[in-house]
Amino acid sequence: MTSQASRRVDASEYLSPATPILFPSDSGLLHESANMEVSPTLRAELLDFNAWSEILTTYGRTMRVAVALTDSQGQVLGKCHNAQPVWRLVRDAACGWGSGCPFCITTHVPCTAVADALRTGGAVMVRDQAGLTHVAVPLLLGKLRFGAIIAGQVFDRYPEPLLLRRVAKEFGVSAQRLWELAREQRPVSNAVLRASGDLLCALGHAFLRQRYGAILEAKLAETNGRFRLLVEGVRDHALFTMDPTGRVTGWNGGAERLLGYVEAEIMGQNFSCIFTREDIQNRVPEKQLQKALEEGRAEDEGWRVRGDRKQFWANVNITALEDAGITRGFAIIVHDVTERRKIATVLEEARQERECLQEKLLSHVSHELRTPLTAIYIFTTNLLDGVCGDLTPYQHEHLTFALDNVKQLKSMVSDLLDITRVETHKLTVEPQHLSLAKLIDDILSTCLTNAAVKNITLRSDVAPSLPFIWADPARVRQILINLIDNGIKFAPAGGNVTVATRPSPEDEGFLCLSVSDTGCGISSENREIVFDRLSQVRSTTEASRSGLGLGLFISRELVSRHGGRIWVESELGHGSIFYFTLPVFSLAKLCAHVLTAPNLEAGCVTFIAVDVAAVEGAVQADILLEIRQVLERCIRPGQDVLLPSMSDAEPVETFFIVACTDAKGFEVIASRIVRELLNFDSASKLKPVISSTTVLLAPGQFGEEQIDNVAARVEQLVQAHLLGKERLQ
Amino acid sequence: MTEKKILIIDDDQHLLLGLTAKLKAKGYRVICAADAISAITVARKEVPDLIILDLGLPAGDGFRVLERMRDLPDLVAIPVIVLSARDPADNKKRALDAGAVAFFQKPPDNHEFLGAIRLALGETVALSTFLKT
Repeated sequence: MTSQASRRVDASEYLSPATPILFPSDSGLLHESANMEVSPTLRAELLDFNAWSEILTTYGRTMRVAVALTDSQGQVLGKCHNAQPVWRLVRDAACGWGSGCPFCITTHVPCTAVADALRTGGAVMVRDQAGLTHVAVPLLLGKLRFGAIIAGQVFDRYPEPLLLRRVAKEFGVSAQRLWELAREQRPVSNAVLRASGDLLCALGHAFLRQRYGAILEAKLAETNGRFRLLVEGVRDHALFTMDPTGRVTGWNGGAERLLGYVEAEIMGQNFSCIFTREDIQNRVPEKQLQKALEEGRAEDEGWRVRGDRKQFWANVNITALEDAGITRGFAIIVHDVTERRKIATVLEEARQERECLQEKLLSHVSHELRTPLTAIYIFTTNLLDGVCGDLTPYQHEHLTFALDNVKQLKSMVSDLLDITRVETHKLTVEPQHLSLAKLIDDILSTCLTNAAVKNITLRSDVAPSLPFIWADPARVRQILINLIDNGIKFAPAGGNVTVATRPSPEDEGFLCLSVSDTGCGISSENREIVFDRLSQVRSTTEASRSGLGLGLFISRELVSRHGGRIWVESELGHGSIFYFTLPVFSLAKLCAHVLTAPNLEAGCVTFIAVDVAAVEGAVQADILLEIRQVLERCIRPGQDVLLPSMSDAEPVETFFIVACTDAKGFEVIASRIVRELLNFDSASKLKPVISSTTVLLAPGQFGEEQIDNVAARVEQLVQAHLLGKERLQ
Repeated sequence: MTEKKILIIDDDQHLLLGLTAKLKAKGYRVICAADAISAITVARKEVPDLIILDLGLPAGDGFRVLERMRDLPDLVAIPVIVLSARDPADNKKRALDAGAVAFFQKPPDNHEFLGAIRLALGETVALSTFLKT
């Protein structure tokens, strides 16, 4: 039989690739798809045989050829025949002919037509052992290879009568009829096939492109639809887009609902219409776009205006839409957070109310505690003063203990009030010019009784010449008494508590005080928390546990209100040392703002002392306060300075003024002071005596050094004046 | 020298009792009033040398008493020491502005309080009174 004969022919002789037929690819599509990633799904969709079958069938019928579609690996995806049962039978019967080309009847060399076509990009023509020719054309999109179409001459002779009969049976026709059909299948000529290769190439290419376009379009439509649904579905956020000038170009349902404009009326409008009039005046819309331009996005929270002029609190997010460095517009998301803001406001109000209530409660409690405390205090002091008759030493001792405890209770009530002040930021200090040595002596004598009860020695290790400090005496007293009482509380009987001062090189402008005890000490973890509120170290013995545990917390607050710091050094079993710093009084610092170059142009500063004495008796403290206010009115604000009280003894009767003026200017000030004091004290019970000293300034620059010199000189004059007065007394 | 007359205005009976005993022992004559209205009546009738005034009173608080006294020529010159359980931070300046000569928070320090009374009565006061003990 012919087929058997043809099988004997060497394959290489017949499998001869024809010249590839190259066709120009669509440059636009090529460019577009140059970097295209095609998913396996898209690939499968592109080569869906059902889509191809019609065109391939038409082609095959017209050209009287068999046609098959393969993927890029040469795997057959589907075959169309124009009355080609013969070919099909041959192909299917010849099992073991190798995979790949469905057209080749070869035994040795696998057909490379598809691979060659994909490699070269053109049609490849091959003749097989049976003497039939087929042509493979690639399906390409740009650089992407999708598959191939193979068109082949149909074999018109059938080698196996046995098989023919079987096939005829399968197809339900007579073997004779099948044979006749097969015989009619005259293969097209090679020339026709070659020419049709070109046509097939173009056809395949065109159809692939069309199909690709159609798929993309469908996908785009689907995505668009989905996106539109998504955007429209967002109801609680307004989403809209703008062009670079701020005109609205897109508007979603949420925007319509939230901002109250329908798409038709807002399109093309400037987005500033959603801002308040005030914001528009302050150019807020422009500033926000500018920020979004510079930083890519801008976020803001504030009042925005709806179409019906109602305002709502909005969270606004503007994102610049950039494409290749050019701003195409902005995308804006607006969220109505009025409710959230309301909740936050309500929460804040609730917090403040709670704080206020707490403060009220605490001050009420401390007020209510004071009333019975006062009665106990008064009756106890009455008894101790012998108001109700003489006491035996034993009664006196017991009453003294009672009084001590009342005093302790009193200080606890004060602590309670201080705590509320700390929390409401009302804890204030009124610093003044203060001599520490005297204050410490005074405090130590107050604490002596307490110490004596426990047989504890109080010691003072204070440097002989301490600088004056700038602090509130009542508060310093409170801090020191607290620390000393703690020391006494925790030191064992027979121990020591020492108050000392030391220079504090790391805290410039501050003086460091310390209170040390020979008590049980504080462990390192407790050192961290002793200054916290309500912290009293648990391991301390029951006997030493008293008080509210607020003392160190309040002390820390007071020290920090003075600008200083407080800390503790301690070791378990070796006692503790509490340190705190207080600012050193600096006349230079106090005067610095008035002793400036323009103020010092006259070349001198006048130091004025105003001694106020009463015709009878002492001047009362509150009168002195008012005299201070009168004097403050007499000096030129910003140019002169009325020094704080520089004397330790209360009440002060001398006021000091540093005036940036000469002797002539002094006369003006002095006459003004006399006039004002006479107005204040029409009964003429006060006798003001005003004296002055002129401090000449060295010519030249008015620097810090000069100011320090003036301040030092003024301080000397103050001390001299006070000393002189003391001598007079 | 006649006995100095001190009017104590406070609604706490125990305080009145204790303070009266204390001041009588110091040689003062003491009269009491327990509310704002009777305070003015008693003050006008008795014309004391000094008034010790509580701020929280029935029938108008201590500030009302101070204001009323300022309007009455026979009372305007009488020194007033305020003795109150209220927070001095909020009330001291207000009381001094309203005409009080001193403000003490309850319970007052015994020495300081007696010193202030003597000062207000124009008696000589030892300097040590001012140095807190």
